[in-house]
Amino acid sequence: MRGKELYFYRWRKVKDKGMTSLALFCVLLAVIPLFMIFFYTLAQGLGAINIDFFIQMPKPVGETGGGMANALVGTLILIGLGGLIGLPVGILAGIYLAEYGNNKFADAVRFFTDVLSGIPSIVVGVIAYILVVIPMKSFSALAGGVALGILMIPTITRTTEEMIRLVPQSFREAGLALGLPQWKTTLRIVLPTAMKGITTGVLLGIARAAGETAPLLFTALGNRFWSTSVKEPIASLTVFIYDYAKSPFEDWIQQAWAAALILILLIFLLNLIFRYATRGRYGEQQA
Amino acid sequence: MERHFEKELDDLKQSLATMGALVDDQLEKACQALFNGDLDIAAWVIEKDAEVDAFDNRIDRDCQRLFALAQPVAMDLRLLMASLNINSQLERIGDIAVNIAERVESLEDHLNFLKGTKLPEMAEVARIMVKDSLDSFMYLDADLAQRVLVSDDVVDSMNRTLFGTLVEEMQGKEDRVEPGAHLLILSRHLERVADHATNIAEGVIFIVEAKTVKHHARELDRGS
Amino acid sequence: MENSKPKTHVPLSKPIVAVHPEEVPLHGNIVSVKMIARDINAYFGKTHALRNVTLSVPEKRVTAIIGPSGCGKSTFLRCLNRMHEVAHGTMTGEIELDGHNVMEYDPVLLRRRVGMVFQKPNPFPTMSVFDNVAAGLRLNGRRDKTAIAETVEKSLRAAALWDEVKDSLPKSGISLSGGQQQRLCIARAIAVDPEVLLMDEPASALDPIATAKIEELIYQLKQNYTIVIVTHNMQQAARVSDHTAFFYLGELIEFDETKKMFTTPEKKQTEDYITGRFG
Repeated sequence: MRGKELYFYRWRKVKDKGMTSLALFCVLLAVIPLFMIFFYTLAQGLGAINIDFFIQMPKPVGETGGGMANALVGTLILIGLGGLIGLPVGILAGIYLAEYGNNKFADAVRFFTDVLSGIPSIVVGVIAYILVVIPMKSFSALAGGVALGILMIPTITRTTEEMIRLVPQSFREAGLALGLPQWKTTLRIVLPTAMKGITTGVLLGIARAAGETAPLLFTALGNRFWSTSVKEPIASLTVFIYDYAKSPFEDWIQQAWAAALILILLIFLLNLIFRYATRGRYGEQQA
Repeated sequence: MERHFEKELDDLKQSLATMGALVDDQLEKACQALFNGDLDIAAWVIEKDAEVDAFDNRIDRDCQRLFALAQPVAMDLRLLMASLNINSQLERIGDIAVNIAERVESLEDHLNFLKGTKLPEMAEVARIMVKDSLDSFMYLDADLAQRVLVSDDVVDSMNRTLFGTLVEEMQGKEDRVEPGAHLLILSRHLERVADHATNIAEGVIFIVEAKTVKHHARELDRGS
Repeated sequence: MENSKPKTHVPLSKPIVAVHPEEVPLHGNIVSVKMIARDINAYFGKTHALRNVTLSVPEKRVTAIIGPSGCGKSTFLRCLNRMHEVAHGTMTGEIELDGHNVMEYDPVLLRRRVGMVFQKPNPFPTMSVFDNVAAGLRLNGRRDKTAIAETVEKSLRAAALWDEVKDSLPKSGISLSGGQQQRLCIARAIAVDPEVLLMDEPASALDPIATAKIEELIYQLKQNYTIVIVTHNMQQAARVSDHTAFFYLGELIEFDETKKMFTTPEKKQTEDYITGRFG
């Protein structure tokens, strides 16, 4: 190469390396906090993790030991209830918006979904309080489930819509051309194809809900005792962490760290389970 | 996977084979009628002309259709091009057979004179050439086609010899003039038959070797 | 709606061009007609895609539609099985299948009688080879496993794909090569036993060998199905079809037996297009 070309070539290589390094640096910047949180929590909470922690109920004030069995089960129940409300509504709304949503009504629905996703979760808790707690005249798991469900809906709806839109039109046409009605084409051909992507949306929704504390304060309230009843207040990991973390007891504070660790692991586990359960044999849309 | 085009090419070859068999038969019977003074057989030959013409038209149309619709290339293309040519050569051989048959009546009283000349021999050679050229097409046998080309020289020389013989016979013998004239023309006819057979053989060499050997490239260098 | 089939014997002579009265064993002057389109005008919003198209589709023959890009051939095809309206198009005029107006037919039922194969092979990605072919049957409510398996085999054989996939039926539909995928889509379309098969440039995304296989397949399929094929490759139309329609700028310019169209077309426009002088 001649001199001038060589100069530009070298300069290009420098720029190239520079940009790559910058990108790498930003990735690290984004990932490091995640790891820091995880490992710090691990360090703080690992000490309190033992079998008792998972099996036992919280001990009365003053006594050491005990566990968060009721909170763990409570979180699972609340997520379950929330999912029961949030998944069908979210997915069906997403399908509607994607397949039939070329009108003003659908535009309005999208707008309000976006608004809903921006509402502070504590406000959602208040709404659930008004809708469920007051008529029932008691705090309950059901109210908590409703609150969480409402929180899940926007995420699931939007992701479902996006993923279904990504399914190429040719599959719909193929389905219709076989003499399938529109709804069957959507349900039996488009939906399975988009399933993997929809799963991601569902997971995001559930993860968000699982980590909520504020709305549960007005709805599920919390419960120091074992309860799996839908109509009764119920404990949850997040409220547990809240209560124990602001307590003066060293012992309890460490239990709060442990609960936080468990919560993180729980969400991670949910992720794995969901992906495994809805894995196709082949070829869905990659989210 | 057999393309239906290949089947159509086979059908075409078959049509040409059938037409060739018909024309070969015409020629044989025309000569037979001539040398035996048989007017009935001569009539048969003349009748068959319509059938030959029908074949000619149909094969032309089939070739046109195949060219237009199948876009043949390479050997398929050469086969189709040669088929068009062979078609018309056969049709002309048929016409000559008819011409021969038409002269049977004029010569039925002069059979001895006729059989005394080399004409029967010439007819035999020409007939074999036609048959061989058709076989070489059916089997795409370039060697057989080459032998046909060589035979053409034989027929040409027989024609020249016969010309001399007949001129000699006709000098001074008034009763020999008319039949002699017919014989001259017949000799010419047979020489033309041999030429048409040669053209068919040249077509076969074109198909098989993609070489054009028209216009007396007899010592053709088939090794290159 | 009952499937009574009045044999509509309609002379294929239209204002534009008459059928060539040749002494060919297959075609005569009169051919029985499977679908008729009359005075079709098709629109996409304000765009006038088809203008006054009148065309008869002969039964159990291959009819090819040729023309330059944007001439309306795909639009016309999609009018035949009412896929045009799925893309939010509108249409005036009549289309008849066996004498019955298709607009009075439930489009879902219509599409079971008039199937379609698309340009880009599109086997359902979440289904196996077997499931793809069976999709039309199962999703339309058939349950009988034996019958379904038989139909799948029959369809794959008819699509000249059985020998290649009989040992890999559970494999994913998209694990096949492009040409095989397209034949899979054809098998899928055939499995619901349509009477008419519409093909929108079925071989244009395939390599030459795969294309040749598809063309040969079409030639065999016409024994049992009426086929309408849109193609931008007119040599393909010449090789494969019995009748050809030439469209230009939304109008039907000429419609005739293929061998006449490609040897002595009536209109200069047709001749110019076929010889490659424009388009």
